[in-house]
Amino acid sequence: MAIAKAERLMNLALCLLGTRRPLTKRELRESIEAYLEAGSDDSFNRMFERDKDDLRELGLVIETVENLEGDTGYLARRDSNRLPAITLDAEEAAALGLAAKVWQQARLAGAASGALQKLRAAGLPEDVDPYGAHSALEPRIPVHEAAFEPLMLACRDRRPVVFDYRKANAAQPEQRHVEPWALECWRGHWYLAGWDRDRGAERVFRLSRITGKVRSRAGRFTVPVPDVVTVRETVASWAGETADRSARIRLRSDAGFPLRAKATSVRELGNGWDELEIPYGHGLDAWLVEFGPDVVVLEPEELRADVVDRLRAVAKG
Amino acid sequence: MLSLVTYLRERPGARIEDVARAFGITEDELVSDLDVLPMCGTSFRGGDLLDIDTDGERIWWHNPAALGADAAEPLRLAADEATALLVAARAVATLPGLRESDRQALLRATAKVETAAGEAAGASSRLSVTFESEGGVFADVDRAIAERRRLWIRYYSPARDEVTEREIDPIRLVSVGHTYVEAWCRRSEARRTFRLDRVAEIKILDEPSAPPEVELRDLSEGLVQPSAEDPEVVVEVGPGGRWVAEYYPHDSADELPDGGLRITLRTPDPASLKRLALRLGRDGRIVAPQELAESARRAAREALEAYDGAGAAG
Repeated sequence: MAIAKAERLMNLALCLLGTRRPLTKRELRESIEAYLEAGSDDSFNRMFERDKDDLRELGLVIETVENLEGDTGYLARRDSNRLPAITLDAEEAAALGLAAKVWQQARLAGAASGALQKLRAAGLPEDVDPYGAHSALEPRIPVHEAAFEPLMLACRDRRPVVFDYRKANAAQPEQRHVEPWALECWRGHWYLAGWDRDRGAERVFRLSRITGKVRSRAGRFTVPVPDVVTVRETVASWAGETADRSARIRLRSDAGFPLRAKATSVRELGNGWDELEIPYGHGLDAWLVEFGPDVVVLEPEELRADVVDRLRAVAKG
Repeated sequence: MLSLVTYLRERPGARIEDVARAFGITEDELVSDLDVLPMCGTSFRGGDLLDIDTDGERIWWHNPAALGADAAEPLRLAADEATALLVAARAVATLPGLRESDRQALLRATAKVETAAGEAAGASSRLSVTFESEGGVFADVDRAIAERRRLWIRYYSPARDEVTEREIDPIRLVSVGHTYVEAWCRRSEARRTFRLDRVAEIKILDEPSAPPEVELRDLSEGLVQPSAEDPEVVVEVGPGGRWVAEYYPHDSADELPDGGLRITLRTPDPASLKRLALRLGRDGRIVAPQELAESARRAAREALEAYDGAGAAG
């Protein structure tokens, strides 16, 4: 079955590329064995439409032309389908070869190697030893989120979507209608930026919090897509990396290396304790509690109270 | 497959081995593609099917004229192809540890591909990836691998909240969200993965690096791959603790009626999860093993003693 389809697509592509005048569906049907065998007109029409879409998805530009008799003709013009001349040296080819390997998502991994194949066909020098010069470095882009592929396509085609989204601390997911703008991967997690129709505002969503399916909605975007979409800045503020105040804590001398790395000042108190001044942003209370009895919050009072509150909850079990 | 045809046209008698490598497919896959080609052609012109065959080693195309000069020209890139290649290239170009000459080559190549892709390159701005790595540490690890030298590091382990000194023989650098070095650790005589942003200090030693031959693992399923023999930990979290399931690889996560989750995971070292128990506060608790739950409670009580009267009130 798979082979039959590959053969059919290949033949259709060759016919459309090889012709200088538009070919009607009837002519194409007569030229391609698989279409002759298709049986009814209906099943041929369905098959032909699907194949045409598949070829377009693969990058083939297929034009439709009405002829004098009112029949629709199809052709893939050479000018619009030819890869423009591109010359890459061996170093550039090796660098692209490394880049093409970073996707762990099937669709994009396939697309990246498809791109390389076309470039190779156009004379891209081959990687003699693909692992030689770059042996040390193995960058990988992780994609574990099921929502990734449908959202990628929706961003590409500028199609509105709807999905169920569970906020970090919400008990139940909520349906969100979104005009998806861009996807960004930061620290190994994927985020979507877009226009939230329900909130009437720009929002950033974390893909792993999307529950269930992403479905496309008919219609167009209602809000213009901004030239620059900022995802990282928003996520950094969630992660408490935009501290606006500072806190004073006591820390046991042999503990809390990352707290020391962030401290703006460290003072030795003797008897096995230090006093630190550290940036105080969102989420600091939860982080400090992780250090258990090795940390004591001195001020501000609000942070001290939050930490005590958290410790009590754990102490009660 | 069209690219294959174009490629073969330029290279009469191409070796199967080379073609398969160039296209990133196995030789078997290539041969099954070759089986299809003789059934392809522009038959409406009078039955010119592609006459391509192979003797098992080389590939011969007996009638390259069958297609006409135009049909076999390399095709433009599809939008997805341009996006996949360009986004990856831009991401790799941001890696701080990339050798400067490689970065320059990649930037040049990216610009050329952008031009060649034309309109198809447009959608690639809707996807972006940032690799993170600590520049200085990265450069030292990269150099040590290139020069095959041993490294000395002071490394922070969050599980134990301690910084330890180790000598490691680096094997490779891996970027999966964060950047890691996979190395043979001389202290534990085992393969270990170290996250670069947890390296407190690093020195390249004069000793040669001599990691034992180890089979490189496929890291596509994540760096942490708990084994079935590892002890089981059960954590119950409320809605506010659902993030645990996002951050920790787990065997199962079952929905609880209150919108929370019951998460079962495995770890070689359950004690390392004491931090998690403390962090969760009222958003969750360790159900099993008992010792772990008790050690978190004990740590919390001990911590409370430092706050006036707070312990008694709890």
